[in-house]
Amino acid sequence: MTRNTRILMSIVYWAFVVYLFVPLLLMVLMGFKDSNFIGFPIKSWTLDWYIGVFKDSEVVSVFLYSTVIAVTSTLISLTIGTWISVLLAGRSFFGRIIIFGLTILPAVIPGIISAISFRIFANLLGIQTGMFAIIWAHAVHNVPFVVLVVMARLATLPKSHTEAAMDLGADKIVSFFRVTLPYLKPALIGAGVFCMLLSFDDFVRSFFLGGYKPTLPVLIFSKLRSGMSPEINAIATVVLVMTAVMGIWAERSMRRMGKGT
Amino acid sequence: MTKLIQSRRRFLGTAMGAGALLASPAYLRSSAAQTGGVVNIWTYDEFIPDDVKKDFEKETGIEVRIRLVDDQGKQFNLLVAEQPNPSVDILTVAGHRFLQFIDSGLIAPMDTERLANWGAINPVYSESDWATINGEKWGVPILSGAEIMAYNTDYVPEDRRNTWDTLFSEDYKQQTAYIPSDLMSIVMLYLGYDGNMIEYMDDPDEAARIVAEARDFLIEKKPLVRKYYDSGAEIQQMLVNQDVVLCHAWNGPISKLIMDGLPMGMSIPKEGSYGFVYTLNVANNAPNADNAYKFLDAMMASSEIGAAMTQSTGFISTYKGSAEHLSDLEKAAASFPEEQLENLQFFRAEANDMKYALVDPAVEEIKAS
Amino acid sequence: MSTTPKPDAADGIAPGGATRGSDRPTFWGRLTHAGPYRAVTDFVFASTRRQFILLAALPIVWVLFAHLGPILQMIRVSFLDSYPPAVGYTPQFTLDNWASFFKESIFIKPFFRTLMFSLSLTFATLVLIYPVAYFLARHVKRDNQMLLLLMLLIPFWVGEIVRTYAIMILLGNTGAVNLILKTLGLIDRPIPFMFTGFSLSFGIVYLTSLYMLMPLYSALEKIPPTYTEAAADLGAGAWTRFRRVTLPLSLEGISSGCTLVFLISTGLYATPILLGGPSTTLFSQTIAGFFHVAGDKWPTGAAFSTIMLLTALILSGTFMKLIGSLTRGPQK
Repeated sequence: MTRNTRILMSIVYWAFVVYLFVPLLLMVLMGFKDSNFIGFPIKSWTLDWYIGVFKDSEVVSVFLYSTVIAVTSTLISLTIGTWISVLLAGRSFFGRIIIFGLTILPAVIPGIISAISFRIFANLLGIQTGMFAIIWAHAVHNVPFVVLVVMARLATLPKSHTEAAMDLGADKIVSFFRVTLPYLKPALIGAGVFCMLLSFDDFVRSFFLGGYKPTLPVLIFSKLRSGMSPEINAIATVVLVMTAVMGIWAERSMRRMGKGT
Repeated sequence: MTKLIQSRRRFLGTAMGAGALLASPAYLRSSAAQTGGVVNIWTYDEFIPDDVKKDFEKETGIEVRIRLVDDQGKQFNLLVAEQPNPSVDILTVAGHRFLQFIDSGLIAPMDTERLANWGAINPVYSESDWATINGEKWGVPILSGAEIMAYNTDYVPEDRRNTWDTLFSEDYKQQTAYIPSDLMSIVMLYLGYDGNMIEYMDDPDEAARIVAEARDFLIEKKPLVRKYYDSGAEIQQMLVNQDVVLCHAWNGPISKLIMDGLPMGMSIPKEGSYGFVYTLNVANNAPNADNAYKFLDAMMASSEIGAAMTQSTGFISTYKGSAEHLSDLEKAAASFPEEQLENLQFFRAEANDMKYALVDPAVEEIKAS
Repeated sequence: MSTTPKPDAADGIAPGGATRGSDRPTFWGRLTHAGPYRAVTDFVFASTRRQFILLAALPIVWVLFAHLGPILQMIRVSFLDSYPPAVGYTPQFTLDNWASFFKESIFIKPFFRTLMFSLSLTFATLVLIYPVAYFLARHVKRDNQMLLLLMLLIPFWVGEIVRTYAIMILLGNTGAVNLILKTLGLIDRPIPFMFTGFSLSFGIVYLTSLYMLMPLYSALEKIPPTYTEAAADLGAGAWTRFRRVTLPLSLEGISSGCTLVFLISTGLYATPILLGGPSTTLFSQTIAGFFHVAGDKWPTGAAFSTIMLLTALILSGTFMKLIGSLTRGPQK
């Protein structure tokens, strides 16, 4: 690759970074505005909104609630999604395309439709609203994304890898865990982060399937009803920081686990 | 138990039948058995003052569980989806949407005898014609809203603030915004018709012609409008950012801007406009109906509560004497001069079936044009 | 189900854990020699049919139950003449809801607008994000890749609504951009960025870029650098190397990225509503109107959703087939 294209690409990359981060900076900034509404000009500044977020224990507990939902639903989606991918990849059988189509379905249904159908379906099954129902809906909604990402990666797994493992005496289960799964690692991490994001940002399903305890987007939506205040910006900022801290912690501990084995 | 379920089966869709037998309503009560029970409320952010909630919990031992909702449609859908065992006791419905909830069997008639403080509500609201349907009262009016014209006082001169003409004037091209579905009623009024469409209930052809005329009017004016919007937060942001300087809006969001010291004002233009009232309603089959009535009574206990609700929402309180507790700025922000109020009439639901069968497609056509 | 991958996944995922340290008796070694495990696997692996049934059981149950169940509910509702049912009324079967889509031109317009919009949006996102993914995967040191990638994800954790409002105060008439331009003396009157095609694309590419970035990155990341080096040794220019080596090998990523973005963009709702102008109504808004504004037109909304769903599925299925045949071409 020539020098010029490399420079061009790095420019595109950093331009993209700026594009992503400028709204974010504005959001953080607006959390300091001394007014009930965000926007310019900012006449006076205050720390009250941020202090308020920490005083209000609801924000922290809602954040934890959303986190538990995101992590659990992600683990379920990853497990099921990988399972389906393994079934669908490298094997042709009657009904394969039907299973694939059904797998993708939840991704294409508009949120409001899916939420209402889930709610009716939950009624039919006697599942009560709350954490379990939300986790269930999020897991279902996220499976297609896992399958798409994992199948793309799986398609490139050289057959020789698994065959070599079998030659060394591993059965299919062992070769899955020792060869296939490690090969899928980047796809799984990518899909996992993705699922967490989707779950964390989901409003409609959480609203329709939730009980009296709101998830984060549900809380923000209902607060938005009385205006986009700096308070909401402060909440989002604090949540961002907490997520970042958790992300770094997860990355660190994963690295430590990696060294441990 | 079986009897309970059977009485509820009336409201079942065919496929939901099996679900009702599986879903025992018992779980709804289990968690609060040891205390004075619970009362479950669906409402908008800031509608129920924190102090009322805390005092009520302290005095009665009943836990108040609030679930915040963000629009009427979602609340309706959610309640429908929860049938036949709603998880809610009190919900917040706008008066002109009563019929929809009543027709679907979602809310119960209000037994005003059980509300000692019913008299605290201004009879303009509690005894109004929209409030009585099928000879029954259906909700406790708490806050009153109006479809108004809002303007940035730096850009819109005084002599142009009192007519809808200004909203459709070339002078404010690409500086206006409105909610098309709401504005349809106002345009009908503006063109000299009954926006509630009750007059045309027996004349569907005339009704269709009027809606078509209003639709064509808005299509003609489409090049002038900057944005069709949906929510109060949106219009607030547009006004703050000066993306628009003149708009149709609900009074609540605008009076919050005024209270915040922004150069905004609002009026009920001389051609007239419509008002609506938020009410607290008891759900049909409410799991804790007794507690719901206790809470409603507590909500009406003093005029200060009404004032607090106005301060936090920007809508006008329906409580007698609540204005006395407001500051001058708040009073100015959350009220209208007497001569403007005369231009205001309430939304009526009688012709809604016919009206919205015509208006909804018309709105789609306006948006798609 | 004799295996649950979850607890073991962490072990398998740990970097290096899979390939190193095989000379001492590992968990896997002990497991494969354990009696009960052997008994079960011997039974399972005895026939391919048995293996297949075991492998397929969970996915089939899952998709039928969790994926299809809710949708069948929706399809059922789309054939009813009234839903939610009024008190004491049993809804009747009808085809009117489906017919209204084909009868009324006002619905077809947003429908095709959405398809065109989603297609061009998908293409635009691909063109924009490919260099970003390429830069990350090929020009950044391997150790830093994850870090830079995760950095790009940070803005997404604040949620669609808060982010969209931040875009409003960036692009509004008194927004940050206009403020800066005015201070620099470049403009007298603010430029109306908001509620135009520009603000809409600005906000939506924000959403879709992520869905494109992930698959593209993971496809590009696994192309061994030796391939392009070898091509260079053979005298291939930069463009030829890209066209003949990199592009074909990243087709899988392009395919899943485009499918994702396309599917997502047909269902976008909140961002177009907040950032779009009066003439950019999308089909998802039309659908939501049946549920929100009217509140009692679920059947029509359900019918329209099913139409959108089928269209999106057929289109993306065709697209993936197309890419699939392409990948098989050059690789062999």
